[in-house]
Amino acid sequence: MTGSFVDFIWLAPALALLGFVLNGTIAFVRPNAKTLVSVIGAGVLLVAFAVALAVFSAFLGLHAEEAVVFRYWSWIPVGTLQIDVAFQVDQLSLVMLLVVTGVGSLIHLFSVGYMKDDPGYARYFAYLNLFVFFMLVLVLGASFPVMFVGWEGVGLCSYLLIGFWYGDAANANAGRKAFIMNRIGDFGFMVAMFMIFWATGSLDFATVFAHAPTALVPGGVAVTAITLFLFLGCTGKSAQIPLYTWLPDAMAGPTPVSALIHAATMVTAGVYLVARCNLLFAMAPISSEVVAGVGALTALFAATIALKQWDIKKVLAYSTVSQLGYMFLAVGTGAITGGIFHLATHAFFKALLFLGSGSVIFAMHRAYHHTHSHEDAQDMRNMGGLSRYMPWTTAVMWIATLAIAGIPPLAGFFSKDEILAAANARGHAEPAWLVFWGFGLVAALLTAFYMTRLMLYTFYGPNRTGEKEQAHLHEAPWIMTGPLLVLAVLSAAGGLLNVPELFHGGARLRHWLEPITQPSATLIPEVPVSASSEWLLVGIAVAIAVIGIVGAWRLLKPDRLVPARSAPEERGFARVLKNKWYVDELYDFLFVRPLVWFSRVVLWQEIDQRIVDSAGVNGAARGARALGWANRWLQTGQVGTYVAVFVIGVLLVLWRALG
Amino acid sequence: MYASWLLTALLVWPLLAGAIVLLAPARLAKFIALAASLVEFAISVPLWWTFVPSGGMQLTADYAWIAAWGVHYTVGVDGISLFMVLLTTFLMPLSILGSWSYITKREPGFYSLLLVLTTGMIGVFVALDLFLFYVMWEVMLIPMYFIIGVWGGDNRLYAAIKFFIYTFLGSLLMLVAILVLYLHAGQASGVYSFGYAHLLGNAKDLGSLAWWLFGAFFLAFAIKVPLFPLHTWLPDAHVEAPTAGSVILAGILLKMGTYGFLRFALPFFPAVALNQTVQLVIVVLALIGIIYGGLVAMVQPDFKKLIAYSSVAHLGFVMLGIWALTLQSVQGALLIMINHGISTGALFFLVGMIYERRHSRLIESYGGIARVVPLFAAILTIVSLSSIALPGTNGFVGEFLVLIGSFRTYPIATALATTGVIVAAAYLLTALQRVIYNPLAQPENEKLTDLTPREITVLVPLLVLILWIGIYPKPFLERMEPSSRALIQQLRPGPAAGDTPGQP
Amino acid sequence: MRLDPAIYNDLLLSLLPELVLTGWSLVVLLFVAWRHETVRDLRITAWLTLLALVSTAVATWWLWWNTATIQGQVSMIAADDFRWVVTWVFLGAAALTVLISIAYLEREQLLAPEYYVLLIFGTLGMMVMAAGADLMVIFLGLELMSVAVYVLAGIDRRRARSAEAALKYFLLGAFASGFLLYGIALVYGATGTTNLVLIGGQVSLMGKPSVMLLAGLGMLIVGFGFKIAAVPFHMWAPDVYDGAPTPVTAFMATGVKAAAFAALLRVMNQAFGPVPAWHDILWWLAVITMVGGNLFALGQRSLKRMLAYSSVAHAGYLLVAVSAGGAAGSSAFLVYVIAYTLMSLGAFAVLTAKGRGGESDVLIDDLAGLATRRPWLAFALAVCMLSLLGFPGTAGFIGKWYILIAATTAGKNTLAAILVLTSVVSAGYYLPVIMAMYMKPEPNEAAHVDVCLDRWGRSAVAVVVVGLLLFGVWPNRLLELARSAVETVQPAATTAVTPR
Repeated sequence: MTGSFVDFIWLAPALALLGFVLNGTIAFVRPNAKTLVSVIGAGVLLVAFAVALAVFSAFLGLHAEEAVVFRYWSWIPVGTLQIDVAFQVDQLSLVMLLVVTGVGSLIHLFSVGYMKDDPGYARYFAYLNLFVFFMLVLVLGASFPVMFVGWEGVGLCSYLLIGFWYGDAANANAGRKAFIMNRIGDFGFMVAMFMIFWATGSLDFATVFAHAPTALVPGGVAVTAITLFLFLGCTGKSAQIPLYTWLPDAMAGPTPVSALIHAATMVTAGVYLVARCNLLFAMAPISSEVVAGVGALTALFAATIALKQWDIKKVLAYSTVSQLGYMFLAVGTGAITGGIFHLATHAFFKALLFLGSGSVIFAMHRAYHHTHSHEDAQDMRNMGGLSRYMPWTTAVMWIATLAIAGIPPLAGFFSKDEILAAANARGHAEPAWLVFWGFGLVAALLTAFYMTRLMLYTFYGPNRTGEKEQAHLHEAPWIMTGPLLVLAVLSAAGGLLNVPELFHGGARLRHWLEPITQPSATLIPEVPVSASSEWLLVGIAVAIAVIGIVGAWRLLKPDRLVPARSAPEERGFARVLKNKWYVDELYDFLFVRPLVWFSRVVLWQEIDQRIVDSAGVNGAARGARALGWANRWLQTGQVGTYVAVFVIGVLLVLWRALG
Repeated sequence: MYASWLLTALLVWPLLAGAIVLLAPARLAKFIALAASLVEFAISVPLWWTFVPSGGMQLTADYAWIAAWGVHYTVGVDGISLFMVLLTTFLMPLSILGSWSYITKREPGFYSLLLVLTTGMIGVFVALDLFLFYVMWEVMLIPMYFIIGVWGGDNRLYAAIKFFIYTFLGSLLMLVAILVLYLHAGQASGVYSFGYAHLLGNAKDLGSLAWWLFGAFFLAFAIKVPLFPLHTWLPDAHVEAPTAGSVILAGILLKMGTYGFLRFALPFFPAVALNQTVQLVIVVLALIGIIYGGLVAMVQPDFKKLIAYSSVAHLGFVMLGIWALTLQSVQGALLIMINHGISTGALFFLVGMIYERRHSRLIESYGGIARVVPLFAAILTIVSLSSIALPGTNGFVGEFLVLIGSFRTYPIATALATTGVIVAAAYLLTALQRVIYNPLAQPENEKLTDLTPREITVLVPLLVLILWIGIYPKPFLERMEPSSRALIQQLRPGPAAGDTPGQP
Repeated sequence: MRLDPAIYNDLLLSLLPELVLTGWSLVVLLFVAWRHETVRDLRITAWLTLLALVSTAVATWWLWWNTATIQGQVSMIAADDFRWVVTWVFLGAAALTVLISIAYLEREQLLAPEYYVLLIFGTLGMMVMAAGADLMVIFLGLELMSVAVYVLAGIDRRRARSAEAALKYFLLGAFASGFLLYGIALVYGATGTTNLVLIGGQVSLMGKPSVMLLAGLGMLIVGFGFKIAAVPFHMWAPDVYDGAPTPVTAFMATGVKAAAFAALLRVMNQAFGPVPAWHDILWWLAVITMVGGNLFALGQRSLKRMLAYSSVAHAGYLLVAVSAGGAAGSSAFLVYVIAYTLMSLGAFAVLTAKGRGGESDVLIDDLAGLATRRPWLAFALAVCMLSLLGFPGTAGFIGKWYILIAATTAGKNTLAAILVLTSVVSAGYYLPVIMAMYMKPEPNEAAHVDVCLDRWGRSAVAVVVVGLLLFGVWPNRLLELARSAVETVQPAATTAVTPR
């Protein structure tokens, strides 16, 4: 209890939960009360955002160096394992809180317009509110288990929302895939928790991080194992190699969902987790290197796939995977601030991109709807020249594109630059990081390239939607474009959060997060970098971005494109990229099919049915019965036989008696 | 007064009610039975408060029965049996209400058997005399045999006799073991009695005999749990049994196995139970149960079979938790015993309800029905989530405790067991999708009707418990804890692992 | 009341029940000789027989009440509680048989009142067997019983099956009696006496038993083994039980078996107490009898044959009790034999109801749906089956439990284990009966309409069911009786007693 408004932190999740309960009820009793649903659904979020702001300012007033922990009730008390339902307010969780509620509210508003014709309107908002609730639990949880509640809760909501239009098996499959992939990660999370508990005797963040330095040997097996298992959890939740494949499929869900869950908030939970446990990762150099390496590789790998996607959302999906890679590169490198910073800016511009594509799809969809055509409303080959019909969208999309490409002074530039700089700096000590840095640069180039490609094919060149449809293409209503504008502003100005000293900025976020990052900072030596080399790096980064954009602009010819239905198959390497390096097929071939086959044929039919049940159990029964039947040969009815048997008996008895 | 009669009342009342049901006119049968079971529940509810969370046996009653053999009628509860009794009395009214329209022929017989069964099951949990325990153990066999055999599905006769003989085999060997123990204790102490405390006190220096006796008990309980490879009676019994039968089978009968381990096999023969090889065997079997059960469940075309195999997996967790012998793992095991009763019970109810409408248990005959029966879909989803241990539901608390506790004793095995959470998600979500999601392909499903008020009444209590135990399990945990601690200290003298403040 | 066999009156007193029954047998015989045409005559004979049995029971009770014992160790007849109790078992079995016979004989047109006379003679033989403290007396009783039962088995002259059964029984029976007699001779040769107590004395003197004695012992066991239908001397049982009229089968399966067992137990304990060999032989006999009986029963589809084999299996269980020996063994034997008599009589009684002449054609599946048509009959049969299976709540369970206690007390854990395992097998043929009655649909409306028992048959079944359930839940009195009855059959004091 601090006696300030911080004490009311519980309001934020509570509101979201309330929204879920109300909307959930409405979904059953009065599914068409859409106005009511919108008011509740978006309302609770806006209020929650207000609460978040209030808490933030109150927290500023506290000047707290320590995290403020609120214990509500004892959840799982067994022996030394004392898990309370407790929230923790500190610099890190506040950043997440603001991002989640802020971006969340905007996306809720957007959804009001985007989903207004959907029969499952109430259900949609119920899920969305529930998601926000769990997300808040995730970021506010004061212990690993409580965080895990949110962690799996958001997974559940993502499952429900990906499969929102469950009538199509593909969507349902995507949802299931997402959940199971996440569970693989959660397996790691759980094992990590077990190790942490028996190593430090607690699961509360405060206690764990207090005991860790004494209980765990820096660089030891224990801490390395713990951090690697934690990171396995992150790869699941944050779609990193090898568990990233669910995220692109997750685009099956409504676009605002993709924006909120699969771009801005949930998928960044992994980054948040690493940042939260930065001490542990700092104690395990190997793990940090793995994190950074996987991050860098993912950044590059996903970017290559994005190059050849035609589905506008798929491009953004792989872009998200790639950007998340950057964040992990950052936190792995030890640049916690950089990671969180990129997390925030990415939340802005990626949400913007998704919502933008959303309004494009919205327009396309309505156009096709009017003409009852069954073209793919998301395929860029069916778009083109949309800038003429939807100028606002085009404008905000440009801002986002430049931001993500890293063009100064937009948000993405600062965050991405900070990450690359950090990697490069670390590289002086350990060359491995130079490689990661290289990956980052190439990824940056590709990012600029595929984003420009997206803009070019979507908004420029001739329109390929179709003669009749063109008439119906136009800008979305204000309830949708409004949030776009706000996000555009954020994407443009987001960099101000943390302008580095180099540009005579205050690096506010860095200082703000110091209480969090401090423990690891002491363990990871700060490599001094001269201003000149920093300028050099900045130059390279910008140059890369510009090359990417210009290159795409020059190389790609939108007027050569033909609509999806008559488009030819790619050939050669292009096809490999279009098919995502055939990773899904590979997994299917390596794991899914063999496991199912093994379970069905070997375990069930052979072992369970044939060996254990037929041969074993029923076999025994059959054997006994057979012996019974065999008796018939003896029981002939012939007195002779009987006497014979009798005499044998006599002999046996005498043998026993005398022998 | 009240204390000493409470358990006896719980045992006698269902028998009386069962007789009444038989005598009363057939159309009243289910009403009387429901009322009786509610009364039974009402009698049992005070246990929750009168029970003092302290190690020992409580509400004990003791009367001589067969003097010649030193057989007594001795009953009592501790933190372990308390919840089993409550679970039984809690599930009974629901089962009766759940059979309301499912059972159409020979109703009086069905309902009175259910009530007799109640006596048998409660008797098993409260018996503190091994003769009484054995009698109850067998007594609950016959009603279940009839319930499966008379009101079951097409292949019911096979399932019924398989169930009966399988259990009978185990229990008879246990009977011999009980007798040997009885004589050993008699020769050691000069007192011939089947009393639990007496036998427990004199079960020392059995030598190699202990191995045989443990083996006999192990077989009896392993069949009930069931442990691989003694599990094949379960899918048949589950699939063929009527809804109430499946619910009780999964909800309570399976727990008798794990309960037997906790109450008898472990305390009587600690030396054997904690022998390295035995531990290895048990843990491996538990693992097989968890993973094998899950994988096999994943490929079942029949929803009930799927749930049956999932039970094998859940009970595997319980066995792992029991043998790990840390406070957390044992507490978790006890909690899973409750949770599994609730979640799997609910699953069977739901399958039964949809079966009544569509007369198919095959997953493939459904699909997309969330559009037609949204409430059913919603509840099925919640229950499935609790069954796959989603945090916030009861399932998580139990599995988390078992795993975190066992990790101390068997790190590798526990890590492997944790993969069970992945498999669980795989099989249940796949089934869920193929039942309530996907296109609404089959026209028969378009006119399915959603849950009736009666069915909702059956399910709501279960949902409440799912969330209650998921969010605030403390009342349950604190009532069990002393008993778990006592059990652990019986086996491993000294403070239990995970129970000493300061260093874990 | 101490009876001195030397004094004439005491001797008569000690034989009071036998004398009473003999007297009655003459009365009934005369009555039959002069009235044997009508159904009514048959009835009256039945009543007379019941009266005879009851009065004999009373006589037995009187001796028991006055705790009649024989003065001095050497005597040809024993007067001890064991005798009284088994005598009651025989009388009970006979009485129940009479009750189920009344309707049966009329229905089957067996207007042969001598049936009852033979029943009385058979019972008399059993009583003598149980009373005999001398091998000769025992043999006398055995023959008396056998001859009567041979005839009973063939009483249904018109049915070839019945005649065949009688003939087989007679041939093999004579064969077996030969062994018994030869055994007696050998024992006499080895010890110079046929008196059990004296033999016991001799044997204990002998130290290492002589080959002749052991051979004699073996022959005796063979002889008794035939009557109790122990594998491999059981071959006659299925055919004879199957062929004989069902009430007779019931009588054979219960009374005859019980009598042979009583004699076996007395002989083994009193005469051969010190000889370890017989424990060993009976151990093996018990094992193969349990295994064989149960497995063979598993192969049967005809209810009657199944019951025949099941009675073989139960002989195995009883053998466990005998071979366990000791007080526990003997009282376990008493308890089980009582339970067994009740439950198999019950089963056969229900069978007569379903039977209609061709009992042996009644397949287990023919009972399908009986529970819906004749709930009480089905319930009774179900109780009997569960009791035979040794299920808690029935006398069969108490009996089995006691036998297991006896076996484990004697350190025969393996035997106990085999017993329970074979009992599991027995579930494989007892349950299908219940299954058929309750879980299978009636083949057609008329399937069971004519299935019914007359008032007397019903009362018999009722007695059985009540007894089974009562003893199953509240066995204390039964156990007390059994316990008190066995002291005297224990190995005699090993003081040497020189033959006269």
